Amino acid sequence: MLDDLSEFALAPVLDALDLGTIVLDAHGRIVGWNEWMGRVSGFSKQSVLGANLYDVFPTLRGSRLPAAIEDSIQVGSSSVLTHSLNALLPLRGENGQELLHNIVVRPISSGRSRYSLLQINDVTVPVTRERVLRERQNARYHAIVDSAPDAIITTSADGTIQWLNGAAERVFGYAPPQLVGRKIDVLLLGGDKLSNALAGDGAHGAGSSIQVVGRRQDDETGYFDVSFARWSADERVFVTTIWRDVTGRMAAEAALRESETRHRALLEALPQLVWTAGAGGGCDYFNPQWQAYTGAASEAHLGSGWLKVIHEADRAGLQAAWESSLSQGRVFDAEARLHRFDGAYRWFKMRAIPVAPDGTITKWFGTATDITDLVEARNSLRRNNEELEALVAERTHEREVALNQLYESQKMETIGQLTGGVAHDFNNLLAVILGSLSLLKKALPEDPRTSRLLEGAIQGAERGATLTKRLLAFARRQELKLEAIELQKLIPDVMDFLRQSVGPSISVTLDISPDVEPVKIDANQLELALMNLAVNARDAMPLGGSLTITCRNETRRDLAGLPVALPRGDYVRICVADTGEGMSKATLVKAMEPFFTTKGIGKGTGLGLSMVHGLAAQAGGAMHIASDLGRGTAVTLWLPRARQEDVAQPAGQPIAAATNGTGRKLRILLVDDDSLVSMNTAYMLMDLGHSVLEATSAGHALQLFESDPQLDVMITDYAMPGMNGLDLARRIRATRPMLPIILATGYAELPPHATLGFPRLGKPYTQDELAEALDQVLNASPPQGSWGTEFQSASGRASAG
Amino acid sequence: MKFGASELSEVEQDALAEIANIGVSRAANSLRQMVGEQVLLSVPAVSIVTRQAASRLVERDNPAKLVAVQQSFEGPFSGRALLIFPEAQSLELVRSIIGDEHSLEDVIDLEHEALAETGNIILNACLATIANVLRRTMRMSLPSVIRGDGATLFDVQGGANGGNLVLFLYIDFTIKHHDVHGFIALLMDLPAITILKAIVRDYIDAIGQQPSSHVG
Repeated sequence: MLDDLSEFALAPVLDALDLGTIVLDAHGRIVGWNEWMGRVSGFSKQSVLGANLYDVFPTLRGSRLPAAIEDSIQVGSSSVLTHSLNALLPLRGENGQELLHNIVVRPISSGRSRYSLLQINDVTVPVTRERVLRERQNARYHAIVDSAPDAIITTSADGTIQWLNGAAERVFGYAPPQLVGRKIDVLLLGGDKLSNALAGDGAHGAGSSIQVVGRRQDDETGYFDVSFARWSADERVFVTTIWRDVTGRMAAEAALRESETRHRALLEALPQLVWTAGAGGGCDYFNPQWQAYTGAASEAHLGSGWLKVIHEADRAGLQAAWESSLSQGRVFDAEARLHRFDGAYRWFKMRAIPVAPDGTITKWFGTATDITDLVEARNSLRRNNEELEALVAERTHEREVALNQLYESQKMETIGQLTGGVAHDFNNLLAVILGSLSLLKKALPEDPRTSRLLEGAIQGAERGATLTKRLLAFARRQELKLEAIELQKLIPDVMDFLRQSVGPSISVTLDISPDVEPVKIDANQLELALMNLAVNARDAMPLGGSLTITCRNETRRDLAGLPVALPRGDYVRICVADTGEGMSKATLVKAMEPFFTTKGIGKGTGLGLSMVHGLAAQAGGAMHIASDLGRGTAVTLWLPRARQEDVAQPAGQPIAAATNGTGRKLRILLVDDDSLVSMNTAYMLMDLGHSVLEATSAGHALQLFESDPQLDVMITDYAMPGMNGLDLARRIRATRPMLPIILATGYAELPPHATLGFPRLGKPYTQDELAEALDQVLNASPPQGSWGTEFQSASGRASAG
Repeated sequence: MKFGASELSEVEQDALAEIANIGVSRAANSLRQMVGEQVLLSVPAVSIVTRQAASRLVERDNPAKLVAVQQSFEGPFSGRALLIFPEAQSLELVRSIIGDEHSLEDVIDLEHEALAETGNIILNACLATIANVLRRTMRMSLPSVIRGDGATLFDVQGGANGGNLVLFLYIDFTIKHHDVHGFIALLMDLPAITILKAIVRDYIDAIGQQPSSHVG
């Protein structure tokens, strides 16, 4: 069976093969040519057998096929010749298309003969298919990579450049042949990073990118973001890199970095505390000054941690203001105390502006400026203002007090003037009434009924006279005999009487400092004043109590803050204080007004305190009442201290004790503008047996003197329209120095302390007082007193003359 | 003496290098015919090493990735012949053979067959030269392309099969301004080496007898 098979002829098999077979002998002659070869070459077996192969296909002579054939015959080697590397046989397919083929050359031995077998493989179909596929793929691929703006470079894993796109040529300035086969490093300035990534160091996965500095052919450098993808073909690994030129971006970033650096330097150089916050308000930066001030690291204050350093009292307000600014996008402006590292708090002005580069707030830029000095100055100013206002209020109050005092004193002055005027006129009327009544009493026969009525009228008129006297005292128009009085003597002298007046239920204490200086006052009036005050005190203490009279020296310096206005000088203060019921404020205000009284009708005149006030004022001092309901009353008098000259003379009486009338009939010139007074006086004089010449004015009087020089005495009123009594008296004395003159004056009509040089007769006067005055001037026995001296000198001159 | 048999004297080394250079110049001629340009091939050094040493030598500058064209041969002595390139150099070699105008994809597509054919040319030339010197024939298989590290190429794990020695030749290519450095390795067993050495000696003797006629 096997033998039969071994005898099978292979020739038909060769013809049936779908590949070409050519057999050549050692001389290159064709000894085998199958049918497939005949079909594709166009040469039949018969036409080529025995022919030299290179005669059939002359182009083969230039190829390496002859060498391969020779080697196979000579050495026995086998060779492969591929269509892609070799131009081989001009073969055509059935449709006339070029037939792509590879040739395998193998040696064949038959006995001692050597042959060469050429196998021609048709690879047209797979190669064409691959080409189509690849071209389609390449078309897509090139459409992408050739139009890409980025350089695309494919390298093998060791960084050898295998391919680059058009952009890579433009970017780097190389033609592809200059780069392919070279290491990628040629494009890099220090390329380890990229080379490692290409080799797959694991640090850079697919799709990641690294930044490199690229180098162009002209040695210019640029920045690139290189992304890369690894791929493999036939177990070979490639890396395709895409180079994005980021030089511009890098320059911009560098510029930005520089700008940020500058910005940062500025922030750090500013003396203020500087901070920044994101759009949401979370703080993300504090400059070193902030950190130095707070003593805490920046991290501790990030977000809203910075609120910790705000003074507790300011924190809620500041936070609210900050949130309000954030929500409304408005400038943040607030003041708060910040905690310094050493525990101190200082005032800061916190200010932040929103940064909105394109309308949307992206950041807040804030500063905190130390304004402690400013705040302190402001507070100080406010304090100063407050102090100033207080001072103004105080001064205003003082002024009101002063105005009140002025008002009070003006009121008292006005009341005094009014009272004085009224009292003066009443005085005259009372003089007339008293004069008339005394004359009437003389003229009427003794009758108990009429004499009682007459006495009643005289007493009433006298009481009226007393009243007017007090009124005049209040109006400071009473006649004061101011002299130096030692209180240490005067007050104890009146004590017995005073104690009797206040009664046994009230204890009286004297507290007179032994060094109290004499005061300049009218002794009688002062006694009267003390009595008045004592009686008032008694009335204020119906259930008993104590009365204290205190006397102290005071100088003007000690008077500061006194409730009364006093000129600078030395004073003695006399205080009469009781422990009685005191006075209400309303009462106190009116206490010094005349006729004001709290006593029951008929119990008081309402002139007591008025009189004391008038006395003190007329004497150059002042009076003050301090009182509170239930706390007693203290009346204080300030009286001027007596000067040395005041102490010289002891007090004397203006009119000496009455002496008997001379009984001599006199011719008397009576000058008075008030006809009623004049008439009354004339009656009294005539009743005394004198003859009276009446003149109604000073001018009239002078005329009468000229016409009738035989006058013995002149009695003239002081207050007259035109020339007053004193001027008249001086005129008369100039011409008739020896003529006795009596000046009749109401209380205080004359200026205080006026040195008249004439005997004075106080109005209203009785007939007796009139007679006494006449006696005195006619007796030529000068009485004591200031005017006496004048009289004496006048008479001395007379006697000399 | 077993190991001493595998050593080459300086003269033997020079002789082998000359034989190899004759071979590669043949190959260069074939390549020039193929690519149409000047191709320079040279073998600067020859040595006999173990497989392990050969494996280290090929990996010296290029760890792991190697490409090799392999052909086996039978004749007076038998074994395997390898033309080895670092992977990157092989692509360079292929590009230099097929031309710069090809795209990377084309180069990759053609790498396999171009490498096989180029390797076939060079290995054939070398072996043919040796066979010529011997005036003997040597059957050689068709080329195949294998990839891997040095151990894979030299079948370090394979052990005794095929012997343990390698005739190791450095080979430099210069094609179209591309410089490629590779290796030619003939894996042979000790008898094959002994025969080779004998051939080399014969060659040296022949040169000694006929100093004026040099084989071209």
